[in-house]
Amino acid sequence: MANELLFFMEVLVGGLLAGTMYSLVALGFVLIFKASATFNFSQGAMVFFSVLAFCGFMQDFNIPFVLAFILAAFLMVVVGLCTERLVLRPLMNASEDTVLMATIGLGYVLEGLAQAAWGVEVRRLDLGIGDFPVPWIADNLKLFISALDITAGLVAAIMIIGLFLLFKYTKIGLGLRAVADDAGAASSIGIPLKHIMLLVWSAAGVVALVAGMMWGARAGVQFALVDLALKALPVLIIGGFSSIPGAIIGGLIIGAVEKILEVYIGPFFGGAIEGWAPYVLAIFFLLYRPEGLFGEKIIRRV
Amino acid sequence: MSGNSVNILDIKNIEVMYDNVILALHDVSLKVPKGKVVALLGANGAGKSTTLKAVSTMLASERGKVTKGSIDYDGNLIEKQNPSQMVGLGMVQVLEGRRCFGHLTVEENIISGAYSRKLSKGDIDQELEKIYTYFLRLKERRKSQAAFTSGGEQQMIAVARAMMAKPKMLLLDEPTMGLAPQLVAEIFNIVKELNQKEGVSILLAEQNTNIALKNSDYGYIIETGKVMLEGTAESLLNNDKVKELYLGISKKGRKNFRDVLKEESLNKKIN
Repeated sequence: MANELLFFMEVLVGGLLAGTMYSLVALGFVLIFKASATFNFSQGAMVFFSVLAFCGFMQDFNIPFVLAFILAAFLMVVVGLCTERLVLRPLMNASEDTVLMATIGLGYVLEGLAQAAWGVEVRRLDLGIGDFPVPWIADNLKLFISALDITAGLVAAIMIIGLFLLFKYTKIGLGLRAVADDAGAASSIGIPLKHIMLLVWSAAGVVALVAGMMWGARAGVQFALVDLALKALPVLIIGGFSSIPGAIIGGLIIGAVEKILEVYIGPFFGGAIEGWAPYVLAIFFLLYRPEGLFGEKIIRRV
Repeated sequence: MSGNSVNILDIKNIEVMYDNVILALHDVSLKVPKGKVVALLGANGAGKSTTLKAVSTMLASERGKVTKGSIDYDGNLIEKQNPSQMVGLGMVQVLEGRRCFGHLTVEENIISGAYSRKLSKGDIDQELEKIYTYFLRLKERRKSQAAFTSGGEQQMIAVARAMMAKPKMLLLDEPTMGLAPQLVAEIFNIVKELNQKEGVSILLAEQNTNIALKNSDYGYIIETGKVMLEGTAESLLNNDKVKELYLGISKKGRKNFRDVLKEESLNKKIN
């Protein structure tokens, strides 16, 4: 009995921590969705592009870890700058659908650029954190929890607190929240949309880099990272497209639910339900709570 | 035109098109003297909002364009500027329908108006206190989420937010739309006060002809994208045609301005 409970706890905690990795990817989507009301289809490509560049700096040029991270983050700011100037500004007054299509195109450009610059083979990324159970926790709590999962959880927590402080207490954060509420009114009082766009795209780029590092360390830095973006979709549907806490909690829910279902219900379906169970959950949310758990409801006075 | 001319805004014969095909303004000319309140009157769809947006350059975001004529604001020819540059030049538009940032608090809404100015935290607090002297009601509600305030309060937020940009000129688009008469009076009192104490020039688009003219120095009446009549506020208030068409003081049924002019010319021919 005690062993069963322990096993359940292990599945749950492992799932929650794996879920923070989904949260990290979803976070990038939320940032851009808030500012431009567009689902950024190139987020997956940004993850791939940024982490491949990071690996390239480290492995091809022997640049030390910290410097390589700074360079890759800087590169993502440059990508944000180019995106604002070359894609978003010319489409400034276009419809949201047009911008959505543009992000799909941008995704292909980034994938192509990344592979042209750094090659197509799968790279190993060693962060110096093993993907194996932490002995101390295993000994004392009898839970087998991966060190990489714990790191991902901590990193996600730090990024969320950082972004929260940025949005709540800085001038540009206020600008972003204003644009998210009503872009037209924001521009009427002189909030320059291009600064806000640059901010969110750069922030989304850095978030993509961090998410890519975590995933790359687990699964190898490879093209398949692009498809990770798809896993963010049920996360966003559950959490709400415009909510940062929603992205986090949505990720945790998806992580935990898919692991628990896999272990306890999976055998009835012949296993491997991890892949599609989150989408089923997402469909239920679309039916009964389309704005997600934390999505901003449209507030109407009565 | 130079910055020291008597008019802060001088619109000459502008024509505005949406999507390159829909002609919204045919021929609008108007002047706003420095430090005065000018009312732009007319029914729905007459072109009031379009005129204001042509001035504030908000037209571009609705795929509209000034295709003829010129707009001179404080010595600057308005051509390729964007709204944030216009705010930098001291012109702020308060959009129709208030357009508050619903998820922000009242105070955050007002502070957001100072975005274009480089102010320290202390300066912002000082400005905020000054703004609150005009909008006492907002001070009580400073911590509420803007979406949950009343329509009148939201209109005050929109004006207070615009004032935080320290404008030389305000463009107000139907500030009293959907408000109770008492609130309409309160809003106009504030507008008058801002005009007199802060020296802000105001161009005001309104459907509420009577109260707008009572609070303005000069008025223009536009219909289907053309200026039909202009004059001092007093002369318009006493004008028979205006009385009949816009103030509802009439012997016969409702007519529009064109019909009245047609009737007049017919009468002239007969005589």
